[in-house]
Amino acid sequence: MSAVDTTEREELAELLAATSRHDQRAFAELYRRTSSRLFGVCMRMLRDRSDAEEVLQEVFTTVWRRAESFDPSKASATTWLVTMARNRSIDRLRQHRESTMDDTMMLDLADEGPGPAANTQSSQERKRLERCLDGLEPQQKSAIREAFFSGATYNDLAARCRVPLGTMKSWIRRSLIRLRICLEQ
Amino acid sequence: MNNPMPPSQEELRYAEYVLGVLDADARTAVEEEVRADPSAAAAVSLWQRHLMPLSEDIEPVQPAQYVWVRIRESLGLDAAASTRARSAPAADRAGWWNSLQLWRWIGAGATLAAAASFALWFVAPAAPQAPASAPAGPEYMVASIAQDNGVAGWTATMDLKQSSMVIVPATPAALASDRSAELWLVPPGEKPISLGVIAPNKPTTVHLRADLLARLSAKALLAVSNEPLGGSPTGQATGPIIAKGAISGA
Repeated sequence: MSAVDTTEREELAELLAATSRHDQRAFAELYRRTSSRLFGVCMRMLRDRSDAEEVLQEVFTTVWRRAESFDPSKASATTWLVTMARNRSIDRLRQHRESTMDDTMMLDLADEGPGPAANTQSSQERKRLERCLDGLEPQQKSAIREAFFSGATYNDLAARCRVPLGTMKSWIRRSLIRLRICLEQ
Repeated sequence: MNNPMPPSQEELRYAEYVLGVLDADARTAVEEEVRADPSAAAAVSLWQRHLMPLSEDIEPVQPAQYVWVRIRESLGLDAAASTRARSAPAADRAGWWNSLQLWRWIGAGATLAAAASFALWFVAPAAPQAPASAPAGPEYMVASIAQDNGVAGWTATMDLKQSSMVIVPATPAALASDRSAELWLVPPGEKPISLGVIAPNKPTTVHLRADLLARLSAKALLAVSNEPLGGSPTGQATGPIIAKGAISGA
């Protein structure tokens, strides 16, 4: 991990720790430093600004009330926060939209780009994940990326990619197994 | 873990949960396991560490400023309380005071509480280079200048040491193109004193003369009137008051 990553990680962890002691300035600083990243996550999944704003509000309300449940030995602050933003977004997707399939969201996974993982700003963890993703078949890599970014269910993913449900499940599961082996080597 | 075993069926479900492909019922089932079983929790958190770096690929999007205001209001946070906790070292004052970005933020935040807390963002992180002299009274005063509908039109922050007031538009109602918004200081028992025309769309800075500084108090009001373009021709308000607010120590 680079020095920059480490500093950022430690600072955010400290802000969360201070937030758990109800330090309002730390909470405000935490919001300033992380909200646009989390909002990007919500927008990408929900594709609706007002939904994403509500989810972001829920996330930070929860952070204020439950910051003490953050355990820096288990996850970085960013992982903890992004996880919360994704979970809330997925919950909302499941509540409101499970049965609807918007045709405009049909995706041709083959066209999905590799993503900016080669970017020099990426973390070491991101680069390592990319190396492991590169070990997958291109279609399966795209399916993993689309699943992660959209929060769509197996059913929706299969419909979007126009493949049978069984095929989609098998792509994703095999990819997850290979990723885990690669990441833990 | 040099020789990882392929994940079990069970563990695959945790990975699917973190990836986000499970339906609502299956998600709920995993969440219950995580609460009840530490090994399930550990497996989920391992997958979170594995997969969350993908989120770095997502372009950040700046949320609208009112989202923060809603968060603060929903939590009932009292920024004014924390404001008093710390006074600004003199060396850092000019830095944040002159930060236009800060003032835009505060204007959009539209509450006193926001003004107070965001000022602190800029003040708090810098280590004092020299001990700040203990002020006799408040160094700053603030006012939220609210319109009749209760919505803040502007926020004003007064820096008493610098004899300066910054007035930041929040959501002022639009005036006709041939009208101007003029700011007035209304000391108790005195006629309003003009502080000049203020902009509807950007911060306005007003120098506070000694006679004005002396009249700033918690009993004084700031008011905005609707005047002919360029301000009142008479030196006294000629149009209706469109917004007003009490001054308080920050």
